[in-house]
Amino acid sequence: MEIYLPIAEMSVHWLVIVGLGGAIGFLSGLLGVGGGFLLTPLLIFAGIPSPIAVATTASHITASSMSGAIAQWRKRAIDLKMAAIMTLGGIAGSIMGVWLFGVLSRAGQMDLMVSISYVILLGTIGGLMLNESVRTLLAARRGAAAPARRSGQHLWIHGLPFKTRFRASGLYISVIPPLGVGVAVGVLSSILGVGGGFVIVPAMIYLLRMPTNVVMGTSLVQIIFVNALTTVLQAVDNHAVDAMLALLLIVGGVVGAQFGVRVASRLRGEQLRLLLALLVLAVAVRLLFGLVARPHDLYSVMVGGT
Amino acid sequence: MRRLAVLTVLVAGLALPASAGENLVAGLSQDSIEITSSYNGTSIVVFGALERPGDDARPDIVVVVRGPEDDMRVRRKSRVAGIWINSDRAILHAMPAYYFVASARPLGQIASTPTLRRYGLGLAAVQPRAVTATGDPEPFRKALIRHQLHAGLYTETASGVQFLSGTLFRVRVTLPAAAPRGKYVAEIYLLRDGAVVDARTSELSIDQTGLERRLFDFAQFDPLGYGVSTVLMAVLLGWLSSLAFRRME
Repeated sequence: MEIYLPIAEMSVHWLVIVGLGGAIGFLSGLLGVGGGFLLTPLLIFAGIPSPIAVATTASHITASSMSGAIAQWRKRAIDLKMAAIMTLGGIAGSIMGVWLFGVLSRAGQMDLMVSISYVILLGTIGGLMLNESVRTLLAARRGAAAPARRSGQHLWIHGLPFKTRFRASGLYISVIPPLGVGVAVGVLSSILGVGGGFVIVPAMIYLLRMPTNVVMGTSLVQIIFVNALTTVLQAVDNHAVDAMLALLLIVGGVVGAQFGVRVASRLRGEQLRLLLALLVLAVAVRLLFGLVARPHDLYSVMVGGT
Repeated sequence: MRRLAVLTVLVAGLALPASAGENLVAGLSQDSIEITSSYNGTSIVVFGALERPGDDARPDIVVVVRGPEDDMRVRRKSRVAGIWINSDRAILHAMPAYYFVASARPLGQIASTPTLRRYGLGLAAVQPRAVTATGDPEPFRKALIRHQLHAGLYTETASGVQFLSGTLFRVRVTLPAAAPRGKYVAEIYLLRDGAVVDARTSELSIDQTGLERRLFDFAQFDPLGYGVSTVLMAVLLGWLSSLAFRRME
C-alpha cells in the first residue's frame, strides 16, 4: 500500500520504508552504530529528496539511540560529565551545521557537499576499520594475541589547558578535545544526517583514550541530544522533517534493532567490525561512482524555493 | 495574455453565436481531488460534446490542463577536477508545475505555430513569464520540459482525444502523485481550419485532506511545535522499544 508523505509531497510504499528502517535498525543493533550514515544515502537512492532524507534521519537516530542509551544506563556505563561537555559542543555544532545546510541548499551545492563529505568520511573510516579488523583476524589465525593498547602514552592532548577529572572514565584531561569532538559531530549530524556514532566512538577510544565500556553509552547520550536538537532546528529552519516518513522508519528501526542485538551476541567482535568496514566501504564506492560517472542528464530541476 | 485570448474567444462566441455555427459543451469528471494517506496519483476525464456540428469534416478538439505556476530552478552540471558539479543555472519564472495537452492528431497539423503559441497549446508553447539566466535560456527550458515529461508532470499526446461518436468526445488526464497541490485549469478548444472557434474552461483543485493536511499545516505554521513533537515521538518509541525488549529477555 502506498503512503503519501505530506512534507516530501510524494508517495512511497510503506513496506519499503519500514523495511529500510528495519534493516538499518538491525545493523545498528548488530554493529553498535546509529546507522544514519547508511540510512540517508539509502533514502536518497529510494527517491526521497536529499534535504528531507537528511533532516528526517535525525529523528530516526534519536529513537534508536534512546533505546540503546536506556540499556547502557541500566549497566551504569555512561560518563555523564563527558556526555554533558560533548553535548554542549554538539549544540554549537548543530546550530552551525543547520545554518550551513541552509546556505548550501540555496547555493544548489547541497547534494554535492553531502556526497563528497560522505565519500571522504566513509572511505577513511571504512579503510581504517578494514585494516584493523583484517590484522586482528590474521593475528588470531596465527595464534598470537592482538597487541594490547599501551596506556599512559603522552599525547599532545595532555598539554592543553582547562583540565578536569572525568571520574567514570578515570581520566584527567582538558575539556577542549571532548568539546571539539562534540562540535564536529554536531556539524556532521546536521549537514549529513548522521548520528556521528562512527566518528565519535573511534574519537573517544583513540583520541580521548576512554575505557571502551563507557564509550557506547556516553556517545549515545550525546547523540540523543544532538539529534533531537537537529530535528527541531531542521523543522524550524528548513521545513524538511517529514513526520510520516519518520514514523515509518522508527517503527521498522526499533524492531530491527532488537533482532540485531540478538544476532550480535552470537558473532565475534572482529567479524562484526569486518562486516561494518565492508558495508561502509561499499556505500563510499557507490557514492564515489555517482560523483565521477557522467550523469544521465546534466540538468537538474528544483521547484520554488527562495 | 493567454487568459485574455481565451476570454476574447468566449466573448466572441457569445456575441456571434449564429456565425460560429458550432458550439462546445464540456465538463470534468471531478472538480476536486483530495490527497489522503493512500494517495498515489489519480486520473480525471474531460468529456464534452459538439452542438450542431457542421456536416463537413470533423473539427479539432484540443484539451489543455495546467497546474499552479511556480519558479523553476534548472541547474547544469559540468565536470570540474573529475567530478560533476552544478555550475550554470537559470530561473524560469512562473512555469506550470503540471501541463497536459491532448488532441486527436499532431498539433502542427491542427493550427499554425503563432496560433498554438497564442493559446498556449503544446509543449513548445510552454514558456516562462520571465527568465533569470546568464546565457541562452533555451537549453534550460528544454531540460525542464524533459525532466517534467519524465516525471509524468508534462504530457503532450496526439491520440488523447477519443471521439465516442460524431459529436461526443472524452480525454483521460493522468495526475501523478508528484503533481502539486493547488488550482488547476482545464481548457477545451474547438478549432476549425486552424482557427479557434469556441473554448470552455473548468477549474480543478488538488489539496491535502485529513491527517496529511493537518501535518502539513502543523509543519508550516508551527515548525517549532512540529519539530518538538517529532522528537517526542522518537523518544517515546525508543523508550517503548527498550521496555518491550526487556520484557522479552
